[in-house]
Amino acid sequence: MERAAPPKLDLRGPDRAIPVLLLLGLVLLPFLAGSSGYVLQVFTHALLLATLALAWNILGASGSVSLGHAAFFGVGAYGSGLLSLKPGLSPWFTIPVGGLFAAVLAVVMGLFCRRLRGAYFALATLAFVEIPRVVTDNWEGLTRGSLGLVGLPGLPALTLGPWRVEIGSSAGASYYLVLSYAVVVVFLVALLWESNLGLALQAAREEETAAKAVGIHVDRYRFLSLLLSACLTGISGAIYVHLTRYTVPGLVYSLHFSAVPMIFAMCGGRFTILGPALAALVLYPVDQFLFHPLLPAGHEFLYGLLLILVVLFMPGGFWGALRRSP
Amino acid sequence: MWITALVSGIALGSFYSLIAMGFALIFGVTHAFNLAHGELVVLAGYVAYWVWKGWGLSLVLTFPVAVAALFCLCLILQRLFSLLREPLELNSIVMSFGLAILLQNGMLFAFSGDYRLIRAPVLTEGVHVNGLSLTYGQITLVVLSLVAIGLLHLLMHQTYLGKALRATIQDREGAALAGINVRVMGLVAFGIGALCIGLAGPLYGSIHYLYPTAGLQATLLAVTITIFAGVGRIRGLIVGGWLLGLVESAAVILLGSSWRELVSAVILIALLVFRPRGILGREEG
Amino acid sequence: MLAWRATIVFCLLVFLVASPSAFAASIKIGDIHPLTGRLAKHGLESHQGVVAALAEVNEAGGILGRQVELVSRDDQSLPDVAISRAEELCAREKVVGLTGGYEDSLVGAVSEVARKYQVPFVASASLQTELSRHENPYFFRVATLQGFVEPLCDFLSVRLRPQRLAILHAATPGATEFAADLERCLQARGIPARLVEKFRPGTPDFVPLIAKLATLPVDVLVSGGFFPDHLLLVRQLREQRLSPKAYIGPWGIAYETFLEEMGENAEYLYGTCAWMPGITLPGTEAASRAFVERCRRLFRREPSSTTMHGYTAARALLAAIDEVLRRGQALTGANVRRALAGLDLLLPMERLAFDERGDPRSYRHVVVQVQGGRFVVVYPPERATGSAVYPAPPWRQRP
Repeated sequence: MERAAPPKLDLRGPDRAIPVLLLLGLVLLPFLAGSSGYVLQVFTHALLLATLALAWNILGASGSVSLGHAAFFGVGAYGSGLLSLKPGLSPWFTIPVGGLFAAVLAVVMGLFCRRLRGAYFALATLAFVEIPRVVTDNWEGLTRGSLGLVGLPGLPALTLGPWRVEIGSSAGASYYLVLSYAVVVVFLVALLWESNLGLALQAAREEETAAKAVGIHVDRYRFLSLLLSACLTGISGAIYVHLTRYTVPGLVYSLHFSAVPMIFAMCGGRFTILGPALAALVLYPVDQFLFHPLLPAGHEFLYGLLLILVVLFMPGGFWGALRRSP
Repeated sequence: MWITALVSGIALGSFYSLIAMGFALIFGVTHAFNLAHGELVVLAGYVAYWVWKGWGLSLVLTFPVAVAALFCLCLILQRLFSLLREPLELNSIVMSFGLAILLQNGMLFAFSGDYRLIRAPVLTEGVHVNGLSLTYGQITLVVLSLVAIGLLHLLMHQTYLGKALRATIQDREGAALAGINVRVMGLVAFGIGALCIGLAGPLYGSIHYLYPTAGLQATLLAVTITIFAGVGRIRGLIVGGWLLGLVESAAVILLGSSWRELVSAVILIALLVFRPRGILGREEG
Repeated sequence: MLAWRATIVFCLLVFLVASPSAFAASIKIGDIHPLTGRLAKHGLESHQGVVAALAEVNEAGGILGRQVELVSRDDQSLPDVAISRAEELCAREKVVGLTGGYEDSLVGAVSEVARKYQVPFVASASLQTELSRHENPYFFRVATLQGFVEPLCDFLSVRLRPQRLAILHAATPGATEFAADLERCLQARGIPARLVEKFRPGTPDFVPLIAKLATLPVDVLVSGGFFPDHLLLVRQLREQRLSPKAYIGPWGIAYETFLEEMGENAEYLYGTCAWMPGITLPGTEAASRAFVERCRRLFRREPSSTTMHGYTAARALLAAIDEVLRRGQALTGANVRRALAGLDLLLPMERLAFDERGDPRSYRHVVVQVQGGRFVVVYPPERATGSAVYPAPPWRQRP
């Protein structure tokens, strides 16, 4: 079987320079931005969206388009939020558990939607968000329903030997936490790409019947990628809710968290590792700093427009196109 | 209580089928999923509202304006969809998703988030028999959708154009081989779709309230009904619409209003999983 | 040589003398309202109230000679946007106080940011009890849920005494809590609610719900929804010929704009009102009139209760800042916060004083009914200007 060279993280040329420079810039951002906490907040959010886009792409790279990842985001958020309200449970513990809850939801979705492909799968995911959302909204005994969660604990302190960093109350520390998480996710995705799972998914995406004929368990690998994607999305949701310390069902299950990561992944490049993250880190700040002040109402049209353009003219995404040019 | 629910379910369901008609035809002929369909209906409603408010046109006169506007828009859409590459269904969903976001934000910008209503008092009047209320608005919905379905059915089965459309729906390649201009069929489908949307929009704006984010729900309804009816089946659309309206009304009564969206979602997912080719029966192949 | 030095010294002196007034920095206050999105109507009104308060203070010469500057932001009725805007105002604009918000999801989000940056936030409209229980010393609000629940509970249990009460509410935190509190209060007074249901705001069709209500059959309907929900629900009640003896809408009804939109269908509907032109706390008539005049002049429209809420919240902040500067203290968030805690101000809407949780001590609505196209106060007796028409005549007897 002819093996297409899998994209690696470290290549020569501009492919290597841009991400490294960007990482450097991000690490130095708190010092560059000076006293403006607003810039920091926008980039913290951008990094979180980057992790969502990367997580979405774990599934997206296999060819499956999900329009309902907010379901996992919300379940992770609520799972962690509710647990953290119980005495003795720190967000360090509840955040990964939130990811686990999201993975469980993915198992349920995967079981039902196992045989769905392409457009039908996308539609199913779009509708699927309503299920955890309405349940969260109505199961008042468990989730406090429409009242939402108020006064959630923030990101907890980190104690390393003699040092203690109160992450929750420091914008800078929160930023570095999210940055570190994003870097970890990037490495995870890179590892995945090179693993059997990644190769199988790429083969399945190229030609599903051929892949099956050769003995690759496409369904199994697709299912696994859905689980991983959901788990990471759930963890991001949990982090989000401990950053804002407040949530209502309408917020974490909103279309915004389904659409925006997906758009970043597609604009960045569905078949690349870094594309989704780069798109998030460029587009979200541009939207917040440039378009939002110009068009307070309706500035998100930018996302819609980009998606249309990318689907029509640049299916590999901007980063994908950039890397392909000599 | 159940009679009222029945009536409301059928009226609402007729409205749903009207919305679904345009979607079903476009999808059947071109295999393009237009996820922005609901937004187009809302946009038609806004256009109607704009001429009603700004130029003082009566409700009836807003229909041709809305249809004309949607016609132009749908022509542009048809061009966009024709540029898509394989896999067509998936790419069209993603592109139209972007379109939906674009339109939603555009409407938010142009019309603000305020709830708008085209006031046509005659629609709220009605007849009252034995404690049962039937508004003229509801009657209009039912009659209009039946007429539309009837006309569409006639078109599809009694005219040459209709035969060509049906052939394209059943088998695009075969139809092309038989000499049917598939591209023109696509244009026709979009044109008729524009007509249906242009009719549904002003109705929506006078019976319900217009607000920019109303579109997505409408789209999902259209998709549900289309899949239920089966690709290419017109009469199934009315039955599907009525059933959906009835089930929603029943759900509100039995479970409560807060479960409405979940019931619709479960129905759609069930249809997708168990019979993506339609429940009303269609031989495979 | 001497001439040069003299000139320099002279210029320095002029500079020193002129600088305090030349460099008298304006005081910056921030407000975050939903100016677009589904809450735009209300957000704009509250924002106008804030503008009116600042205009009043600035026209009188500012605070100790310093003008107050308002930095406004729109949160688009979305909590995460509210958070961004709050961060921007606190971190970048460095406002000395924040006001605004309309719904609890927005207010809650902003209050956490306020706590983080230690900038006092006086919310103009917020209901959830939770929000003030979380020991946020930087959170204050001029409205509470109790202000709605108690008057209605009294009115229903003392005056109307319904046999078959139904409570509907929107699926928002404030409305949900309102419904639960009202139900509990009435239960304790022997009036159980036969039906309590939640609907998502923006529901396009209430007819199945109305069918349910018709089977009860409901006699008093309390609808904790918003302006658009009332518009649709009342219209559909009429279409379905369901005539509850009383329809009570704690939110969205006691507004002139509601009367305009609903027309004659608004007749006999009940609402609750904290303030309205003509309905003001005894002793504040002059201030109330001045406020209405100013709003007419600035915005060419009548102010509503929501406008007054914004005004009240802003007045609280301004009074606190005034206190801090008068005492010669530094204008920091902590000092303003302390001044807010000790505030006691008689305003048209309420006598404003905050308790240790940041809640207002004496915020109470009155119950009004639409009669003859005007609002009449029907409860409590000491402020009533008319008596309630109960039961309301059924639809078929009305034009």
